[in-house]
Amino acid sequence: MPEYTDNELVELFRDADKKHYAFNLLVQKHQEKVYYFVRRMVIDHDDTDDVVQNIFIKVWNNLGSFREDSKLFTWLYRIAVNESLSFLKSKQLRSYLSLSTPEAMMVKSLHDETNFDGPEIQRRLSEAIIRLPKKQQLVFNMRYYDDLSYDEMSEILGTSVGALKASYHFAVKKIEEFVTAN
Amino acid sequence: MKMKQNISNQTNGTDNLPPVLENLRYEVTGFRVPNGYFDSLNSRIVDEIKKQENKSLLKSIVHSFRKPLVWAPVATIFVISLLLIFVAPLKKNTTNQVADEWTEINMVYDPSYAAEALLAERNSIDKELEDNDINYSEPVSLTGQNQPTDAEIEQYLKEHEIDADILNEY
Repeated sequence: MPEYTDNELVELFRDADKKHYAFNLLVQKHQEKVYYFVRRMVIDHDDTDDVVQNIFIKVWNNLGSFREDSKLFTWLYRIAVNESLSFLKSKQLRSYLSLSTPEAMMVKSLHDETNFDGPEIQRRLSEAIIRLPKKQQLVFNMRYYDDLSYDEMSEILGTSVGALKASYHFAVKKIEEFVTAN
Repeated sequence: MKMKQNISNQTNGTDNLPPVLENLRYEVTGFRVPNGYFDSLNSRIVDEIKKQENKSLLKSIVHSFRKPLVWAPVATIFVISLLLIFVAPLKKNTTNQVADEWTEINMVYDPSYAAEALLAERNSIDKELEDNDINYSEPVSLTGQNQPTDAEIEQYLKEHEIDADILNEY
């Protein structure tokens, strides 16, 4: 597979003859990162699959009008954040009809071996992240797992760098407490 | 004070993670993914896009037909076309067919009708002959002035090598 930069992929995508080819390359390049970002937010594989498909469908529909004043990578993350939060919100609404909260369902999913088979300490870490407020979850995942800089996170989430640092700090504190206490 | 220090460290790019989190940071997360999932994801996304595009095309057609200004003239043209294509020829054929059938039945069961039909046919032949402007003023009777002479007959028979006895047969 030829290596293209994100900008080259956007250029290719705008060429009608190479649109499908460029999109395939773009999906292959970013699919794993996007998948694991969403998976850490929604936990269940099938739910993640739905969200990831929606993300890339949005990319397909809107990449033509993408303005290159931001990076493709941050634009993609912004879509992923919005889609993940929308999914969790709809899950929250649906959970009013059931007896358990979405967080409880996610924790249950973590204890399902078909869904999670990592070491116990990783399970506890994931459970601690689930229990965080959504904004802190996003900030922690982006920084801890994806190594995004605060500037990039600020561009994606539309929040000041200072607020992001504070969110990350509190997230780390809460997670540490949860992991060491259990 | 310690909290402020930590946040400040993060400002400088150092996360100052507790050891337990530092150790787990680059380990595999433990989420199970079905085998070959990432190989087929691409094609499934493309299939889904095609499905949605077909759906949206159908939706836009249905949506446009919700406006009476659009569908009313189209529906009128459609109905008129259907009438012209199917109903009009059917009606014409049916009339002719029924008329023909009735003529046949009458010919069979009503002798007077048959006589009338034959008369009409003859009249039409007469009309046709008149139209063709044929002159019947010359007498055509075999006993008229145009009767050939015996000499002419003999000459004709000779020329065509016909036996003269044939005349005795009539």
